[in-house]
Amino acid sequence: MGGASRFATISREPGPLSRRRASLATKKEMSDFLASVERRAFKQCVYSVHDDEAALDIVQDAMMRLAEKYSDRPPTELPMLFQRILQNAMRDHFRRTKVRSTWTTLLSNMGLGGEDDDADPLETLGVEDQGNIPASPADRLEQGQVMAAIEEAVRGLPDRQREAFMLRYWEELDVSETAKVMGCSEGSVKTHCSRATHALAKVLRSKGITL
Amino acid sequence: MNEKEFADKLKPWLERAAGQVGEMQATRLKSARLRALDAYREPVRLLGLVTVSGGTLQELHYSIVQRSLLWLPILALLTALTVMSVSEPDLGELDVELLTQELPPDAFLDKDLRSWLGKTGV
Repeated sequence: MGGASRFATISREPGPLSRRRASLATKKEMSDFLASVERRAFKQCVYSVHDDEAALDIVQDAMMRLAEKYSDRPPTELPMLFQRILQNAMRDHFRRTKVRSTWTTLLSNMGLGGEDDDADPLETLGVEDQGNIPASPADRLEQGQVMAAIEEAVRGLPDRQREAFMLRYWEELDVSETAKVMGCSEGSVKTHCSRATHALAKVLRSKGITL
Repeated sequence: MNEKEFADKLKPWLERAAGQVGEMQATRLKSARLRALDAYREPVRLLGLVTVSGGTLQELHYSIVQRSLLWLPILALLTALTVMSVSEPDLGELDVELLTQELPPDAFLDKDLRSWLGKTGV
């Protein structure tokens, strides 16, 4: 249980809690877990939905649901539960988007669609974190290019392959946990992961990137 | 290079990308986390048997209360009807039988009937 073991290292609050109660996630553990996972979850969503705002909403919903409904679970179960909620939230987002786009297309064909060209392009610019930035400008440029290429390659993967790859190798869930989150067989997870890895390697090789 | 090795080499790049999310996004993620923690409810032990999430219990409690409120008017109506039917005496039926003369004439000669009629005050 990779993801679970990673989180299991977070210390528990001491206190006169019963043995059974002590095995459940405390508020601090929940907080630590969410803090450790929020940025990765956000990136996962961005790779999937290609929209920062929607990704933020999805992550917020997922965190809210986890904190509200799963305080009766041990901390080791939180990574898998959170991923399950997150993946379901992403699926819901796609369903809603599909319905909305159907209606938008229908209404715009009828001439009732609104204009939405007033978006400020500056709003899409974000200030980057200054940590982990190489000293020399050349290195910084190179690192930025490699990172952009990797992110583009990940974004370009088919949904299921990306989901499997992210859960398995970034979130470090094991094969059975990944299968539970994805709602498929363990064999399918292995196939998706293998295909994703080969596709990524191929894309990066074609761009002259060696890891 | 096998799958795992390749993924291990890719992971630090992904971690770095996650570490470099914009300031605005990081702030929103933090506030989302704090909101989620506000919604956190301590788990509750029910009858010493099962432990449920505080949020689930609250939701359950809310839905029970809500359903009770929905059933309340129906329950009140049923209670009123029951009370009315119970408090209504059988004298009405007797009157009807008397008026329609379905009661055999011998019945009026029966002492017990008279005494019963006297008791009920008819």
